[in-house]
Amino acid sequence: MPANHLQALTSPQMSSRVTVLCTSIVGEVSRRLCKLSPKRRRRIHDMCIQRSPHDTTEKLYTKYKEVIMEYITSVVLPSLKDKHDEFLLRELVIRWSNHKVMSKWLSRFFSYLNRFFIKRNSLPSLDEVAFTCFQDQVYKVTKGKVKDAVISLIDQERGGEQIDRGLLKNVIEIFVEIGTDKMDYYKNDFEEEMLKETASYYSRKASNWILIESFPDYMLKVEECLRKEKDRVVHYLHATSEPKLIEQVRHEVLCVYSSQLLENEKSGCCVLIQEHKVDDLSRMYKLFSKIDDGLCRISQIYKKHVTVEGTTLVKKTDDVASNKEAEKRVVVGLQEQTFVREVIELHDKNMPLVNDCFQNHTLFRKVLKEAFEIFLNKTVAGSSTAELLVNYCDNILKKGGSEKYSDEAIEQILEKAVNLLGYIYDKDLFVEFYRKKLARRLLFDKSANEDHERSILTKLKQQNGTHFTSKLEGMVTDMTLARETQADFKDYLQCNPRTNPGIDLSVTVLTTGFWPSYRSSDFHLPFEMTKCIQAFAEFYPTKTNSRKLTWIYSLGTCNITAKFELQTIELIVTTYQAAVLLLFNDSDRLSYSEIMSQLNLADDDVVRLLQSLCCLKYKLLNKEPNTNSISSDDVFAFNSKFTNKMRRIRIPLPIVDEKKKILEVVDKDRKYVVDACLIRIMKSRKVLNHQQLITECVEQLKVFKPDLKLIKKRIEDLINREYLERDSENLNLYRYLA
Amino acid sequence: MEEEEAGTMVHTNFYCHLGNWGILKKLEQWFIPISMSPWKLGEKAALQALKANPYVDMIVVDGISLLCTDLQVDPQDIVMLVVSWHMKAATMCEFSRQEFIGGLQSLGIDTIEKFREKLSYMRSELRDDQRFREIYNFSFGWAKEKGQKSLALETAIGMWQLLFAEWHWPLVDHWCQFLQLKHNKAISRDTWSQLLEFAKTIDLQLSNYDEEGAWPYLIDEFVEYLTENGIVQRPQN
Repeated sequence: MPANHLQALTSPQMSSRVTVLCTSIVGEVSRRLCKLSPKRRRRIHDMCIQRSPHDTTEKLYTKYKEVIMEYITSVVLPSLKDKHDEFLLRELVIRWSNHKVMSKWLSRFFSYLNRFFIKRNSLPSLDEVAFTCFQDQVYKVTKGKVKDAVISLIDQERGGEQIDRGLLKNVIEIFVEIGTDKMDYYKNDFEEEMLKETASYYSRKASNWILIESFPDYMLKVEECLRKEKDRVVHYLHATSEPKLIEQVRHEVLCVYSSQLLENEKSGCCVLIQEHKVDDLSRMYKLFSKIDDGLCRISQIYKKHVTVEGTTLVKKTDDVASNKEAEKRVVVGLQEQTFVREVIELHDKNMPLVNDCFQNHTLFRKVLKEAFEIFLNKTVAGSSTAELLVNYCDNILKKGGSEKYSDEAIEQILEKAVNLLGYIYDKDLFVEFYRKKLARRLLFDKSANEDHERSILTKLKQQNGTHFTSKLEGMVTDMTLARETQADFKDYLQCNPRTNPGIDLSVTVLTTGFWPSYRSSDFHLPFEMTKCIQAFAEFYPTKTNSRKLTWIYSLGTCNITAKFELQTIELIVTTYQAAVLLLFNDSDRLSYSEIMSQLNLADDDVVRLLQSLCCLKYKLLNKEPNTNSISSDDVFAFNSKFTNKMRRIRIPLPIVDEKKKILEVVDKDRKYVVDACLIRIMKSRKVLNHQQLITECVEQLKVFKPDLKLIKKRIEDLINREYLERDSENLNLYRYLA
Repeated sequence: MEEEEAGTMVHTNFYCHLGNWGILKKLEQWFIPISMSPWKLGEKAALQALKANPYVDMIVVDGISLLCTDLQVDPQDIVMLVVSWHMKAATMCEFSRQEFIGGLQSLGIDTIEKFREKLSYMRSELRDDQRFREIYNFSFGWAKEKGQKSLALETAIGMWQLLFAEWHWPLVDHWCQFLQLKHNKAISRDTWSQLLEFAKTIDLQLSNYDEEGAWPYLIDEFVEYLTENGIVQRPQN
């Protein structure tokens, strides 16, 4: 229709025309959802471009809205009104979908309106108008029923029934789309209730499960329902719901019952650890790592468990020690070795737990360390664990100790032993005891394998620094140097036959400071040996300058040929023992006091020597009276009737227990170490308060855990020696005095 | 200033001559005279002679007794400690000439009467907190043997009894008992000075005592001793 034709129409006529046009278009579109004919489109266009006073745009706009509304109320709503549940949902989806399409096409047809009239007057676009109509008229009215229907379907699915997931997905989308850019409608009209319902659903379930399921089985159920809920989100809920949903479920199913579960006597955390149920523990770790405090509590249970196991081992050894008398030292010693071995086994057992099940989490590594530190720093059977560990290593490293193990196996054992040292506080005590044992192995040729000796020192160095092993390494090196020196000595003797003493002498030169300190004594060397000593004493200065040699005869060994009545036997004895025996070359009988004065040794040495020669395994001397202990009234004679099926025997000399002496040495050293540490700190900080000084000192001292009282005393001593002073104003402050 | 203490002191009885200078007449009695000739010198010359040899001469035990008699004061009176402090005396029972003369000058004393008057002022000084602290800390160096770093226990106890009679500390007797029972060794300077702080700042219930603080080890032990023996009930916190 040409434009001017329209002009001729009156207002009311125009209105009705518009109405008819809109209604028919809307109807057609809704019915057939197809494009309009070009004729119709032109008509619309014409209407839109009219100018005032025949301007119909406003009328069009208003009518448009009215018509949509009417369509909704007359068609859409009735179709939804009496429906429920799934049927309601289906219908709604269809209606919404239709509505969207309609809205799209209509906007297109009346786009001229959108472009000019609406813009000019800042009115809602046609799209918005249609949308708002649906929102107000349809959505708001039906949302409650829809929500209930959806939730009920979800619960049905939880119960195991099959539901139409596609449908739910579409419905949920309505909740999302109806809020355009915001999720408010989704959250308020659906999600909130859905979460609440989920919570109560799982609360009911969990309260059942907790009564009948064991901890591992319960966890399986938890895993499963979490998985299912995640699945639900993927298939029809909105992604943003996932964290909240999972949180709710986890709370009801796990958090609420976490203590009950962990502490379940029959199948709780403790039991799983004891029975080493690796899979269950891994599952437990994964689940509880998501709850507040979950891992913390598990780690505490774990720590307690390990501590109890370790402390039991300690007690076992204590019991053995207190049951046996001192003579049965061997049995106690054996139990002590078993203790170390069992502690290593305990550690081996727990490492996979920490590494795999607990995924090497720092918290668990920490509590394992703390647990081991607790029981490894107790005294065991009267000895420090540092000493026991040294004895353990000594048994592996000495000859005959580890023949059944391959080299690799020994390396592993040493590695594990060094690992244990990491938990022991008194590391300086370990060094002192180790030094003593190492000395014996090296000097009495009891070391099985030099490579292993060096290997353990390397491991100790890696763990504790170069300074830690410097003396020990020095000792091993001394032995190598001694061999060279010995070779040179042999050459020297060959070149200077006059100096040759006629007895094979081999000398080991020890660097003072590396080796433990030995008492030198005014021992009277048998004259046969003095020539040997002289020869070496002349040779040595030709090799090196300005070194002073001090002879420690107590460490020497001697091979001595003894002619008994029935046979000649070679005896391997200590120098002191040899000296005793040699006395009987000149006298048939000797009294205790004669022996003592001839040797010029102290009582305890003499007693020990004589015991080894006549009261233990081999009776080389006869004693009057023939009792089993040495007294100063005894008289001794050579036992010419001695026989043995071996041609060569070693006569052992029992070692003196120098534990007390070692502890004294270590205590004294600690004072110096603390002093040096305090001075070092104060020198660099100049001024420091008491608490900080103590804290730093404790932190810096790695080789032992310092007693706070010791540190305090050393601070006072340093004040007295004027290295430090107290600040005159603040008595808690110390100042370094240069 | 007890006689027994003097027995262990190094007696270097040097002699000096004093001229005719007010108090000099008295000084001559306290200092053991060696020669008479400078009597004839005037006051100025005598003073010069005195100042020429500052370290040579000492007043020791007998001189001190005489001094105390003239001052009408007991040799064991704590005011003599205050006098020593003013004179910056190095050791108890001894005054070197420099210390003595210097002290008199700084106190503005040139007659015996003035000296006596000053005594009551000196007594009052003990009531001043800061002054008492100075005198207390001074007395450690003063009471100990020359060449020693620490103060013998018996002497220390004596000094504490003397000092804490002036500034009352209720635990002094327990402290001395504790030392004799558990310590039996000399007292370090640090312990000495810290004890005063302890007495001044820690209440009698020991409620504000912090074992982790910078108190000397001996004082930590004392607190333990008091609580273990039920002498003090520490409030549990």
